[in-house]
Amino acid sequence: MLTLQDVSVQYRLITERKRTFQSHMINYMKGKRIEKKTFWALRDISLDVHKGESLGIIGPNGAGKSTLLKVVSGVIKPTKGRAHTNGKVAPLIELAAGFDDELTGRENIFLNASILGFSRREIEERYERAVDFSELRDFIDTPLKNYSSGMVARLAFSIATEANPDILIIDEVLSVGDARFKQKSKERILAFKNRGIAILFVSHDMEQVKDLCNKVLWLDHGKIKKLGDTHEVISEYELHQFDRETVGLK
Amino acid sequence: MVNSFEEVKEIFRYRELLRNLVSRDIKKRYKRSALGFLWVMLDPLLMLLIFYVIFSGLFGGSVGKYSTYVMSGIILWQFFSQATKVASFAFLQNRNLINKIYLPKAVFPLSVVSSSLVHFIFSLIPLFIIILFSGITLSFSILLLPYVVGLVFMFSLGIALTVSTLAVFMHDVIYIYDVLLLGWMYLSAIFYPISILPEKLQVLMSLNPLYHYISLFRACLYDTALLTSGHIVYGSVFAVLSFLIGWSVYYRNKDRIIFYL
Repeated sequence: MLTLQDVSVQYRLITERKRTFQSHMINYMKGKRIEKKTFWALRDISLDVHKGESLGIIGPNGAGKSTLLKVVSGVIKPTKGRAHTNGKVAPLIELAAGFDDELTGRENIFLNASILGFSRREIEERYERAVDFSELRDFIDTPLKNYSSGMVARLAFSIATEANPDILIIDEVLSVGDARFKQKSKERILAFKNRGIAILFVSHDMEQVKDLCNKVLWLDHGKIKKLGDTHEVISEYELHQFDRETVGLK
Repeated sequence: MVNSFEEVKEIFRYRELLRNLVSRDIKKRYKRSALGFLWVMLDPLLMLLIFYVIFSGLFGGSVGKYSTYVMSGIILWQFFSQATKVASFAFLQNRNLINKIYLPKAVFPLSVVSSSLVHFIFSLIPLFIIILFSGITLSFSILLLPYVVGLVFMFSLGIALTVSTLAVFMHDVIYIYDVLLLGWMYLSAIFYPISILPEKLQVLMSLNPLYHYISLFRACLYDTALLTSGHIVYGSVFAVLSFLIGWSVYYRNKDRIIFYL
């Protein structure tokens, strides 16, 4: 379903805004070559995720979790190595990225679904279900700027999960809306899992990861620290965190 | 070449997004203003008024003829300049989306040029009103209008792709292009007849794509004498060239853009 082969991603580090012609010229006259600071956000990541598997991705901030998701969803092409996905990838990353405040809920459903690559017919087929799931029918012709942030998140979640994906990418979005909607979205994700959809799930909440995932990848500084059984990896990760904290206290 | 074709297919797959971006742009631009959609018509008419007051005495001719001449120049120029100027921000402005969700990025500059096309088509209304009042009768050459507009679209898209891509790597491109447009406008025979230029400059005008497009546009509307093979050949070659350059600049850099946004 999803195969990564020795995937590495290199970022340029931007220390300050140096992208004007003026600063280029000044540096050039000073005889400075443009400093190219780079760093590897991911290094030699190889993994497989099969149908029906759900992989949790854990690790400290800056470990490369989000970069890994971006590689899988096609936002970033790996600098080295190959990423191969089989089927439709739906990202639940930063759900509201494609929303426009001034448009109504209805217009935003159409806009956001088309950002995910839907055709008009596909959107019309799913529109009613998405509205029902979001429970926002009464507000659907209100501009989004009058929505609460919980309402926006509900709308976004409802659209993205109508995608019928083969691979679902989730980045910390289970904390959407109120407790009841949270439960509802969790059920929907579990239903995806039971249908055999591969899931990649990034979270700092180990309980959520244990709930959802049967395999866990622990990333650290862009490298695989450990990959394997959920409970094994998580207990080692927590032990490691605990050690670091106690060492830090000394 | 094969991969290039894949990218075109991807853009086609996202045509619904393109449609939504264009309609959002049009809705948003006129929702807030009191006169709303009327501005599409008022804008070129007011510009015409300014040019008319300042220059009609200089360049003479009848009121109707000069008005048609200037008006046609203005709206075609506006189509091209608005399309490419707004498109220069296309990737920078949508960095949030590009950073988070996969999409064929070229839909952004393409949508800008497309919504400029829609505005252009609406602004034909005031133009035809002026033509009507001038007592000009349209001839069969009007049938060539879609071809001419197509050329301008293709030419603009090429420039839009080039400028928007380069602007990601060096922001100065946006300002440089702005100044360039200003000079370009004065060189495009919008409000003066080309005959007032020194002969040497007149020859050089054949290197100005916009001069050919504006001439062809006028040829379609009222001045069939302008319908020369020179304009058609030059105009077509410039359009194809611009598109090929723009596409290759975009295509070569499309996977690097994300690291610079």
